[in-house]
Amino acid sequence: MLRFLTFRLLQFPLILAIIYLATFLLAWVAPGSPFEKERKLPAQTKAYLEEKFHATSATAFLAYYPAKVLTTGDFGPSLNYPEFTVNDILRKSLPVSVTLGLVAVAIALVGGVLIGTLAAVKRDGPLDWLSLSVALIGVSVPSFVAAAMLLTAFSFNLKWFPLGGWPSGAEQSLASADTPERSTAYASGKPQLQDALDHPDKYFEFTPTRDRIGTVTGFEISERDGVKIDELIAATGFDWNQLFDHPNTYFRLRTEWWLSAWKYFQSICMPAIALSLLPMAYITRLTRVSMIDVLASDYVRTARAKGLSRPAVVFRHCLRNALLPVLSFLGPAAATTLTGSFVVEKVFNIPGMGDYFVRSVLNRDQTLILGTVMIYSFFLLSLNLFVDVMYSVIDPRIQLTQGKA
Amino acid sequence: MEKRSSYSSLIAVALIALSLLNSPAAAARKAGFRFINRGEVNTLDPNRMSWMQDIRIGYALWEGLYALDPDTLDPVPGAAVKIDVSEDKTVYTFHLRPEGKWSNGDTVTSADFVFAWRRMLEEPGDYTYLFYYIKGAQDYEKAFTSNPAMADFKTVGIEAPDATTLVVRLSHPVTFLADLCAFPPFFPLNEKSMQPFKQTDKTGRVSYGGEFIRPPNLITNGPFKLVSWTLKVGQRLEANPFYWDAKNVKVKSIEAVSVDDNLLAYQKYDQGEVDWLAEPTGEIAAEMKKAGRKDIHVFPSFGTYFYSINCQPKLPGDRVNPMADARVRQALAMSIDKQPIVDNVTRLEEPITSQYIPASSFPKYKAPPGLPKDFAKAQELLAAAGYPGGKGFPKLTLLFNTEGDHKPIAEYIRKQWADHLGINVELEGVEIKQFSQRLHNKDYDIARASWYGDYNDVSTFTDKFKSDSLNNDAGWINPKYDELLKQADVETDVQKRLDILAEAEAILLKEAPLIPLYHYVNKYAFRDNVQGIPLNPRNMVVFKKITAGRGN
Repeated sequence: MLRFLTFRLLQFPLILAIIYLATFLLAWVAPGSPFEKERKLPAQTKAYLEEKFHATSATAFLAYYPAKVLTTGDFGPSLNYPEFTVNDILRKSLPVSVTLGLVAVAIALVGGVLIGTLAAVKRDGPLDWLSLSVALIGVSVPSFVAAAMLLTAFSFNLKWFPLGGWPSGAEQSLASADTPERSTAYASGKPQLQDALDHPDKYFEFTPTRDRIGTVTGFEISERDGVKIDELIAATGFDWNQLFDHPNTYFRLRTEWWLSAWKYFQSICMPAIALSLLPMAYITRLTRVSMIDVLASDYVRTARAKGLSRPAVVFRHCLRNALLPVLSFLGPAAATTLTGSFVVEKVFNIPGMGDYFVRSVLNRDQTLILGTVMIYSFFLLSLNLFVDVMYSVIDPRIQLTQGKA
Repeated sequence: MEKRSSYSSLIAVALIALSLLNSPAAAARKAGFRFINRGEVNTLDPNRMSWMQDIRIGYALWEGLYALDPDTLDPVPGAAVKIDVSEDKTVYTFHLRPEGKWSNGDTVTSADFVFAWRRMLEEPGDYTYLFYYIKGAQDYEKAFTSNPAMADFKTVGIEAPDATTLVVRLSHPVTFLADLCAFPPFFPLNEKSMQPFKQTDKTGRVSYGGEFIRPPNLITNGPFKLVSWTLKVGQRLEANPFYWDAKNVKVKSIEAVSVDDNLLAYQKYDQGEVDWLAEPTGEIAAEMKKAGRKDIHVFPSFGTYFYSINCQPKLPGDRVNPMADARVRQALAMSIDKQPIVDNVTRLEEPITSQYIPASSFPKYKAPPGLPKDFAKAQELLAAAGYPGGKGFPKLTLLFNTEGDHKPIAEYIRKQWADHLGINVELEGVEIKQFSQRLHNKDYDIARASWYGDYNDVSTFTDKFKSDSLNNDAGWINPKYDELLKQADVETDVQKRLDILAEAEAILLKEAPLIPLYHYVNKYAFRDNVQGIPLNPRNMVVFKKITAGRGN
């Protein structure tokens, strides 16, 4: 086991280096330049930009960037978004894609295995038909159609879910801040003003501002419908605009973790389902087929003969063996799902990595192409290794070191 | 299996918990105006801005020497209060507004303009060529690129004799310099705020790291300042308290929301999440119009959709080019019925045209008529060129990029030529970057093309077909045309100059290196509560005049 792991881990750098080189060459020979847009650049301007970004020739590129990646882990600046580095972009987008992907894989796995198993047990029954429908829908409906349909039905029409966007991190409510300004305003003894300071939600609507990964950068505050600021100023003799212009000195945000979890759930629900349809379809079918095989095997009959109940046999004895093909599918499927899906991220406006993966190619943004491909490859290699290890965990008869000289 | 999925959810929970740890950093009033820009902003560096969405944010953040009046598109004083122009229109003296301030409170001086314009030559970008009107600018850029130590900025006609005066010497008379000054590449930069990001390479060439553009580092002189910018999220802008005209800035904050998906963008607008949807797709705009919606605004644009014809003697692959003969080009141009394109494909009542320059944008310009639709005449011309009824006409390829409506339009035009001229062309759709490269390299027979003007002068269109123009993708060379443009360059009388340019366009249209199809339209969606969004062809928005009627 240890020998196997060491060997595989030693392969990693070599494979990654080959992928880097191959990707670079493909990106380099693709027609078009990252600097040219619809109109042609003057030759000296183009020459300057190419030199600045070390893109005058393939050798210049390879002489600069790979060494930089190796020594500092820095993929360099994005050629299309000059204000951002590739690392900036990956750091922000990868966690988003991974979170969404994990949820999608979990849904696909739980749903797929459950439906597949039940379908195998109740072969040719209604459940089997259900499993076939799930698989057919999952395979045949392209994800951009499924995603757009989910969005339009549940977010736009029914308004159960937000219109795209990423879960908004910590969910908060407005509370009074303990500051001198607030105390002064409160002490002025105007009942309406005191009420507003005690129960700000009655008067104000607030929206936390944050970047899309969910980091709260502050909050925005505005009057609720029907609240007339001018009248309030006249009635209380206090300039209520102060509350808007310096909200920090009067209010603070109180974190409501349960609300956060709920919002998180709301935003992640639709895209995760859209993303899980395809792997779920495969898992359902794979589970069903191998489960039917296993159920027909001798040891199952023995187990039943010695008096074990059917569910016990299915879940304790069969599932383990039936899951092997699912497992080998899961490695690459998880790598694809975790690194983001261009379509689902675009439709739901999710700032994940999948979108950059495609966009960088369209923009010929060579540094960003390499960054995303390397991350993707790393995930693929790691997950394949993980799957190989899991084989031996699920079926101890599989010897990892066997057959390898 | 149970184990694995519980690991997954554990990690998901951990990630959620991680984001809960962040505590609020600052508070602000809800943005007074929210809009969905055309797409992801690529850069906000005035040196590199060229996309409409980038330029739009640029207008909110900066102010050039002059700005454009959103209704008349005439230059109005911005960072400058007045210009003195020499008799021969080659020396412009700008007098800066003494009360002009940067968003950090510093005074805007003429040195800030010199710094920015000099950087445009030393760190060239997409629009550096617009500076070539300035005496010595192109030579300086060349000299600096080859050896920074040898280049002498004193040879360039940009000078700041004192803090509020900027003198610009031009290589030939330019009537539209004030208009150019409103354009992002001519915006000033605050050198002090860029110092920490200065990089000097071995040859002594200076450049500035992109971080200087990112908040809170960016210092600008316009009505708004950049408060936050996250890719795929958008930008938040807040009123610049030091702006000289701050009292006339209507909203305190603006949020530009980045939404890539067209349907989602429309849905967000429709549910009131944003006040303005700048440039919905043609499809969505057409559907909104069809539904009788009052909040979709379609109006003329500053661009033309046309087909570019390769006029070089040989086509790629060393094939003989039948279109080197002007009669063939004329035949191709006269055998298209254009109306069905805008009726059935683009569906926004775009004005079909046989002219290249959108004349509606230039009231004083007397546009020459183009080639009419005349099938009989077209067949005659083709026969005269040696291809009666299309017989013996070599197989040509029509190149287009596969995005948008280009494919159905190409299919329609192929049919038109087959029906009216008896010639068959092949269609070739490629992806945009490849398309641009092939167009620029003249590696095509006939190609879909378009042109948008950059500044308010006819020459922004006519220059494209100058024989030495970088963007003369048709490879069309006409000495008379070049000669007329040269004449226009030195003509100081505005009307006379326009007449010369009209004469040039007449030659262009008659020689037909291009087949104009229709003039583009702009599309905005906004409701009645929004005021101050002007409907001008150039998409020029003056953000300080906008309100969404929410009182902040």
